[in-house]
Amino acid sequence: MKTMTLKSFLPGLTDKSTGAASAPVFSQSIYIVKQTLTNLFLSLVGIGLFLLMWEGISVYLDRNLPGPLATLTVLWSMISNPWYDNGPNDKGIGLQLMMSIERVFKGFSIATILAIPVGVLLGSSKLFYKMFDPIVQILKPVSPLAWFPIGLVALKNAGSATVFIIFITSLWPTLINTAVGVASIPDDFRNVSKAFGFSPFRYITKVLLPYSVPHIITGLRLSIGVAWLVIVAGEMLSGGTGIGFFVWDSWNALSLEKVISAIIIIGTVGLLLDRFFLFLGKKFSYK
Amino acid sequence: METPLDINDTSVYHSELGIQIRNVDISFPTPKGIYTAVKNINLNIKSGEIVSLIGHSGCGKSTILNAIGGLVKPTKGEVVVKYKTITAPGPDRGIVFQHYSLLPWMSVFENIYQAVDSVFPDKSKSEKKEIVHYYLQKVGLMNHKDKSPQQISGGMKQRTAIARAFAINPNILLLDEPFGALDALTKSSLHEELTALWSSDEQKKTIVMVTHDIEEAIFLSDKIVVLTNGPAATIGEIIPVNIPRPREKKTFVASPEYKAIRDQLLYLLMEAYAA
Repeated sequence: MKTMTLKSFLPGLTDKSTGAASAPVFSQSIYIVKQTLTNLFLSLVGIGLFLLMWEGISVYLDRNLPGPLATLTVLWSMISNPWYDNGPNDKGIGLQLMMSIERVFKGFSIATILAIPVGVLLGSSKLFYKMFDPIVQILKPVSPLAWFPIGLVALKNAGSATVFIIFITSLWPTLINTAVGVASIPDDFRNVSKAFGFSPFRYITKVLLPYSVPHIITGLRLSIGVAWLVIVAGEMLSGGTGIGFFVWDSWNALSLEKVISAIIIIGTVGLLLDRFFLFLGKKFSYK
Repeated sequence: METPLDINDTSVYHSELGIQIRNVDISFPTPKGIYTAVKNINLNIKSGEIVSLIGHSGCGKSTILNAIGGLVKPTKGEVVVKYKTITAPGPDRGIVFQHYSLLPWMSVFENIYQAVDSVFPDKSKSEKKEIVHYYLQKVGLMNHKDKSPQQISGGMKQRTAIARAFAINPNILLLDEPFGALDALTKSSLHEELTALWSSDEQKKTIVMVTHDIEEAIFLSDKIVVLTNGPAATIGEIIPVNIPRPREKKTFVASPEYKAIRDQLLYLLMEAYAA
């Protein structure tokens, strides 16, 4: 057992009988390990240079901008005690983050439930497309924050209004990508379903959706990306709780260390969300 | 008493006829105006006949085929199958598309199964599976049934498409340049498989095929319809192929009948209706 594991790591240990067969697999895994190590090394070098630059700027600004060390210390203390709750203005970063994620999740889910069917409708009917495309085109470039007052009036609650702007934000990319995906189903596939008499249900489940799912997931990925951008600004506006409020509150308390720490956390969560949808997209791509 | 069949008279309907194309014009609106693809097409096809449509690229061969399939509506005239004017696709006509048109997110088996399931909703699941397996066996794809279309060769994709068209047991099979993208060897073996499939069903199915391959047209067909050049292409000549079946590729190509028809087709395509 021990030699087996060792063999796969040390070329010298391969015995002659199995050596010939396992050699290509072995050199391939060596190659992958090498590549991964190189990539890891390069990203570490990049991060190192960035930290160095940051420290330089911090020194240049007479520490008015906190340096990496001071910031990372604060960041560490924040993430080592994320769940404390000392009243409305002093909550752990974990709690704030959960509030934001919950709002994004709510707004994004409602938007998705609406955007996919409407997108399918717009993509499959030229009539609907021509009717509703102008509206979509006008509303799409509007900053979702402009909807905040409408959300306040309609929902009478700042937290729900934030969910509402996330909903508006997440609507467009999913809707547009779904419509484009459905509209681009090749004639060949449509003709197959016509020639073999597919029912509407069979067409939707066996042709339309499998073809458009990669497009839809790309739309979802764009939506969650923008939603995560907008939540920070939205919570600065609405106040109370959430990572956006945390950033604004830390600025008011003049703790730039906390602001920068929050930026790092926001970036990491955004990256994870993006990677999740990228993974989902790869999983559901038929190519 | 039925009158003796005049194969070129499309004004009367005859029970021996599988497909009748009567005074068909097909035009399409384009940004530059109306484009007339084919004009004044009159053609009778007997039940159980294999007919090839041959002509230069863009002469509207596929358009005629799609009109029989019901995917394209004639601007003028009608296509009649079993006393009925064609208005839409139906399971009585199986289509093998030019680019195979297999759904890439399904296995070979599933591609055929979905067609069978759609056409025979009343059959039980095991009956439908049996049908799919029967045709997979016929085209030699049993070992590849769980692969996806991206994992198999062009010839296998075409076999799948043919199996799918046969599996719904249509009276009429429409093949749109079915072997165009295949190498010569694969093509030859598929020609033989196609005639074998056709013969295994007592040669009852009517097959209409679009091709630009002269040898293929002669080997497979009972009659070859030569189209003039588009736009507004029409039927130039109908050449009967009275070579007895079963035809065997090697001896067939050497026969004088084959050569005579080939020369005639070459003359028509290269000189009379040269592109």
